[in-house]
Amino acid sequence: METIIKQKIRQVKKGDQSAFEDIVNFYQNKVIQICYRMLGNLHEAEDIAQEAFVRAYTNIHSFDEKRKFSTWLYRIATNLSIDRIRKKKPDYYLDAEVKGTEGLTMYSQLSMDEPLPEEKVESMELNDYIQKQILSLPEKYRSVISLRYVDDLSLQEISEALEMPMGTVKTRIHRGREALRKKLRDL
Amino acid sequence: MSCSKRYIELMHKYLDHEILKDEEDELKQHLMQCKSCQSHFHELKRTEALLESPSHVQAPDDFVQQVMNKLPREKKSVSYRK
Repeated sequence: METIIKQKIRQVKKGDQSAFEDIVNFYQNKVIQICYRMLGNLHEAEDIAQEAFVRAYTNIHSFDEKRKFSTWLYRIATNLSIDRIRKKKPDYYLDAEVKGTEGLTMYSQLSMDEPLPEEKVESMELNDYIQKQILSLPEKYRSVISLRYVDDLSLQEISEALEMPMGTVKTRIHRGREALRKKLRDL
Repeated sequence: MSCSKRYIELMHKYLDHEILKDEEDELKQHLMQCKSCQSHFHELKRTEALLESPSHVQAPDDFVQQVMNKLPREKKSVSYRK
């Protein structure tokens, strides 16, 4: 697949806009899913995903073909998502780290670990529930977890996509995964 | 709880496909004897499965078209920017 994509990119670089259509078609679901994992709102996710593709197009000349295109594209999408999260930051929000704690949020203070009443779990879509738990993580865990699971990226690829040292990626995935384990174990 | 730190580390390595063969053997050995690590590992694997479960989120039908409409016009000329 990567070879076909590379060929398309070469066409786009030469000015063939229609070749970009195939690229969007191929990656659209993954990009929207990553944005959705990070933002938790479908409308916003589609919005940011669109912008990510437009940026990828306008910056296609800076894409180094020796690299993996998906990683490059996901980086644009995660950066835009993070910008969006920061922009819409309300004065008070549950996700905020409680001062003086390492990674503790208001969610944890509301003891989200308590199992939800059964009827609630049943009425909620499983996917929505999982999404909600991901959103309760600080954003730095959210991006690594999104990339890890939406497209099964390796630690190395995540480290490239987020321009983050491998050690940091590893720690964040481990912590994020442990946090989610606790939140999801009663399902 | 006491034995687990090293083994939990190995569990994550396993899940990230980074575990070495002898570490994997070591982990398996341990899991056979330790109930608490066993259930920890089980919960982690289940979390993985939940996170990997296919998303219900899909691009709308007109997504590609919408993106294409937003692209700058096919370059008729090279635009110069400062």
